[in-house]
Amino acid sequence: MAGADSPSAALRRRDLCTRGIRLVGKMRSDVIDLLDTYVERQGLDASASVAAVEGVPPAAVERWDEQTGTQRLLENLAAYRAFRVLLAQMLEEQREQLGEADAALGRALASVLLQVSAFAYHLEELLQLESRSPPSEEGDGPPPQPHLSLFEQKLRGLGVLRELAQWAVRSARDLRQLAKPSPGTGSAPGLAESP
Amino acid sequence: DSHIQYERVGADVTMKCGSMDWDAAVTWTANGTDIDESHLNGSYLILKNVDLTQSGQYSCYEGSSWHLKYQTYLRVGTPPKEPVLMCRSNNYPKGFYCSWHLPTPTYIPNSFNISVIHGTKEMVCEKDAVPKNRCHIRYLQLFSTVKYKVTLTVTNALGKNFTTLTFDEFGIVKPDPPESVVAKPVPNNPRRLEVSWQNPSSWPDPESFPLKFFLRYRPLILDQWQHVELSDGTSHTITDAYAGKEYIIQVAAKDNDIGTWSDWSVAVHATPWTEEPKHLTTEAQITETTSTSTSSFMAPPTTKICDKGAMVGSGAVAVCWTAGLVVAAYSVLFI
Repeated sequence: MAGADSPSAALRRRDLCTRGIRLVGKMRSDVIDLLDTYVERQGLDASASVAAVEGVPPAAVERWDEQTGTQRLLENLAAYRAFRVLLAQMLEEQREQLGEADAALGRALASVLLQVSAFAYHLEELLQLESRSPPSEEGDGPPPQPHLSLFEQKLRGLGVLRELAQWAVRSARDLRQLAKPSPGTGSAPGLAESP
Repeated sequence: DSHIQYERVGADVTMKCGSMDWDAAVTWTANGTDIDESHLNGSYLILKNVDLTQSGQYSCYEGSSWHLKYQTYLRVGTPPKEPVLMCRSNNYPKGFYCSWHLPTPTYIPNSFNISVIHGTKEMVCEKDAVPKNRCHIRYLQLFSTVKYKVTLTVTNALGKNFTTLTFDEFGIVKPDPPESVVAKPVPNNPRRLEVSWQNPSSWPDPESFPLKFFLRYRPLILDQWQHVELSDGTSHTITDAYAGKEYIIQVAAKDNDIGTWSDWSVAVHATPWTEEPKHLTTEAQITETTSTSTSSFMAPPTTKICDKGAMVGSGAVAVCWTAGLVVAAYSVLFI
């Protein structure tokens, strides 16, 4: 861990965190705009209650303030990798349903997918800085979905975007915790190895 | 035996004198004062269409012996109307509080019961000692999309009522206003004011949950505010103040990502730096000595007639607008 605490590593970490916070801030803003567009184009009710969607990692967490830096990075990475797959599915479904009729929605989805991928990559860099190889992606991703009706697909899409907007807020907070100077003895919120 | 009796405003109340027969001779008093017999039906006391002023101690005495046979404390009041409930998180991410009140008084004691449900989980809202109608709750989970449902029930002897509030974690975040707002002039800068403030002390972790700020300022003589939004830092220099004018300044705060703006801070007043008055005394004296009959157009000698911020035009033709008014006034007089 000595390498992870060197001055240059600390600087790099702060830099990655700062850029990550900006990235995720822009992503959240775009996701919120996309939610409005999605609800409108898919003919949904904005206040519709969507039950927890299978395969969508919930942002909700208990004892958030007690998490170690590594835990934060790992949970974030797992989430954004899952969102990458889910958004790609949504994009595919949207193209099948609406074809070229709604290029704007398709473009907005693609833009958010790009940002999600970029952030996932960003998280991998942060993990590597902690001398931790990011876990492999083999076998990752949500379980294969039973065939959903068109309406169910739309509702699921709403659930995915809402949870992503929630994650974007959490990720900014997580990165700010990470960017705090480590207390030095490896206790949370420093970047100690998880037990 | 003394007891309390609650009755609605406008009700008709009949009081029996304990176990005394209807035809017994009795005397009723209200707060020690005899009640006229016209209010009696036998030994029963009849109060029609009671109002709040009729609250008090009612006693019944046996006619001849003056033994106290019955005593009651009548409290006239109303059943509760729908209470007003508010929930807010000014200490995010620690938790939130809910506070409530009745829109109109009931004039009798009320008890409040609050329930907080998050999804399927019932949470305990701990009542504050002060203020009374308030309770607080610690977040067990953060970043949840599941809504909170808060139900407040108010009960008194004459009835009950309730209200429900549903919200999500982000929606109720509203910090307290910034504290210790200070505004100072900047030496040798007649158009600047330096403003600084602090994060509200109730906000537990400004490093991980940074606040952004909104500053508003205007000279006292104008109604329109100028606004500046600041994404970080707890200070700002106003650079377009009108020279010599007193300003009123306020700041508000908001979590960088979620929730709503705080109320405005306490207002502070400040006036930008001005040159020493002696530099302008000559000007003021000249103007004063030539204006014997037009005092209504003249500024008092200690006030600057003309300052850089009030210039109109440029170069050789630059004219101070207040001086221009004075000149125009003289012209009218001498036409």
